[in-house]
Amino acid sequence: MDEFWQRSKSPAFTPVPRVRPQDSPHTPVEKAPDPQLDTNVIDQRRYYSREFMQLEWERMWSKVWLLGGREADIPEPGDYIVTEIGPESILIVRQRDGGVRAFYNVCQHRGARLRGCGIGTTGESLTFKCPYHHWEYTLDGGYHRIPDIDTFPQGRPKKGLSEIHCDTWGGFVWYTLNESPQPLLEFLEPLPRHLEPYNMHKMVQTRDITVEWNCNWKTSVDAFNETYHVQGIHPQLLWYLHDLDVQIDCYERHNRYLIPFGTLSPRVRKPPAIPEPIKTIMKSAGMDPADYDRPISQIRRDVQQHKRAHGAAQGKDYSRLNDDQLTDDYHYLIFPNLSLNVHADDFWIFRQRPHAHDPDRMLYDIMTFELVPDGQEWPQRAEHKQWKHGDKSIGLVLDQDAQNLPSVQAGMHSKGFKGLWIGAQELRIRHFHKVLDDYLYGPQGKPPGGL
Amino acid sequence: MDLGLRGKKAIVTGATKGIGRAIVELFALEGVDIALCSRTQEDVETTVQELRRHNVNVFGQAVNVRDGEAYKAWLQSAASALGGCDIFIPNVSAGGGFDSEKNWTKNFEVDVLHTVRGCETLMPHLEKSSAGSIVIIASTNAVETFGVPQAFNAMKAALITYAKQLAQHVGKKGVRVNSVSPGPIYFEGGSWELIKGTMPKLYDYALRQIPCGRMGTPEEVARIVAFVASPAGSLMAGSNVVADNGFTKRVQF
Repeated sequence: MDEFWQRSKSPAFTPVPRVRPQDSPHTPVEKAPDPQLDTNVIDQRRYYSREFMQLEWERMWSKVWLLGGREADIPEPGDYIVTEIGPESILIVRQRDGGVRAFYNVCQHRGARLRGCGIGTTGESLTFKCPYHHWEYTLDGGYHRIPDIDTFPQGRPKKGLSEIHCDTWGGFVWYTLNESPQPLLEFLEPLPRHLEPYNMHKMVQTRDITVEWNCNWKTSVDAFNETYHVQGIHPQLLWYLHDLDVQIDCYERHNRYLIPFGTLSPRVRKPPAIPEPIKTIMKSAGMDPADYDRPISQIRRDVQQHKRAHGAAQGKDYSRLNDDQLTDDYHYLIFPNLSLNVHADDFWIFRQRPHAHDPDRMLYDIMTFELVPDGQEWPQRAEHKQWKHGDKSIGLVLDQDAQNLPSVQAGMHSKGFKGLWIGAQELRIRHFHKVLDDYLYGPQGKPPGGL
Repeated sequence: MDLGLRGKKAIVTGATKGIGRAIVELFALEGVDIALCSRTQEDVETTVQELRRHNVNVFGQAVNVRDGEAYKAWLQSAASALGGCDIFIPNVSAGGGFDSEKNWTKNFEVDVLHTVRGCETLMPHLEKSSAGSIVIIASTNAVETFGVPQAFNAMKAALITYAKQLAQHVGKKGVRVNSVSPGPIYFEGGSWELIKGTMPKLYDYALRQIPCGRMGTPEEVARIVAFVASPAGSLMAGSNVVADNGFTKRVQF
């Protein structure tokens, strides 16, 4: 073995104990067979080419189902969410009958936006009045009033607001610009079965932040799709999670990995005390780190058992979760743009949205939710905040990612960079790009010279 | 300078890692017979094997010093195995922690009680020695505030006061008692490595407080402990030696 190899090889480790498939009747834990993918470089031009961005828009963004918002945010008829995807703005509206419909957020008169981004309500009017000339639409997109209609010799445009498909699952509203989409549940397969055991409807939104990041949306998706960067960017997490014993499962278009939390990475030495990040896990489970006298390697299992024993008394229903779900990070990518950190007591969604016209920018949405124990008063949902890259802290770990990504994006443009060199720990990145290619190029595959 | 340590018998608690490990290494090099413990039998065995390479008698056994009876029994076995005790270094600590009231119980039982029980149990042996000496390992966290108001800091302060008082009490029997208060000491697997990894801001802050910009090593503490413990340090009794590379800022008149 040469010196380079000696310095570079990954550390040996004892596998972390995991639940067996038969002990997880709800969320499947079977290892999915790894997809047979090549080891070629991934073309870096995919991250900044405007032509590629356009191709993504035409063949992918306008075809897939996208997360629009949370149903609980629009409980009453007339409540609405305005969300943006690329150059489009979408108006999601709670109907009089309790259903939800979605429209392009654009007045049929002169193209004005009916409402700005965010959550709101029509109030008692139950109509959307365009701020420009006061064209007014009903909740189902029809015309309510067009001022001076008699001065339009041609009458009114045939249809009202341009409607798009929308549906709900998991307490969220989803929409698609695809005029003949596959059903939402079919698109999400096989994840509904994975995620339904979590008590998402019992969680309150604790963060709702949008940051404009100076990188391509895929640069961000990639960053959350591998644990290899933990030793580089997040060294403190090596005293918190096992970055090497990670089960990767790739499905038809979505993928996931399962990361043991509450344990040490084999990259660090056994410390003389319980690391503060692991103490946090213990404390949130109701354990006292000062009263814990067993080896650090036992903590993950003990936290699982403690939560199993005391969850119900704490008003937390863990009955449909397996033991590993009580500590670990079940991390999903819902193609194309949702990175989910799913835990027994909280649920984080990072939504990556392309910029309207600049492939070197994106919108990074942080939506976090926390379980509200039974019997506790339902707290106010966090208000939405938005700012630009680096203006404010979004927490140590995400700040570390945020600081890193612009330089990665800049490097993509370099003549000295020959493409992404992807390893086995980064299999999800390769799978993600393969799924993207399936949308862009179809069954024929990438044409010669295609990015 | 001859420290006069050759042939002496030392009992050191918590001696398989860090400062304790460096102390027994230096003692062994100086020809001191050693009894040591830690909580992990495997670590004890490894350390015993390593020390025996210096051709001294080494006794080692795992014990949890928090278990008073087991610990006192261990101390007696240690003194028997060595055929006496000239030097006692109570070094085990429960470490820092600001989690709950349990930290106070733990630091009291581990840091304070294990020291007191050790001194009391071994005093008959130390009195018989011609160079009886105790060096209690305290901390600069006792002499200046640092971090949070945690039990570790206050219990280390208790140890310094105890060392001073005990020195008065047993001095007439020829036993010297002193304490050594290390500042931040960095070593692989130590608490400052953990802090550097998980709380880099605190680490950087501590480092900035040290004029030469470097934390101490266990070997540097060991050399000071060895001197204070040795017959060469015969004039020292009731002292608290701050070994911190200028980390603390107070003037100690």
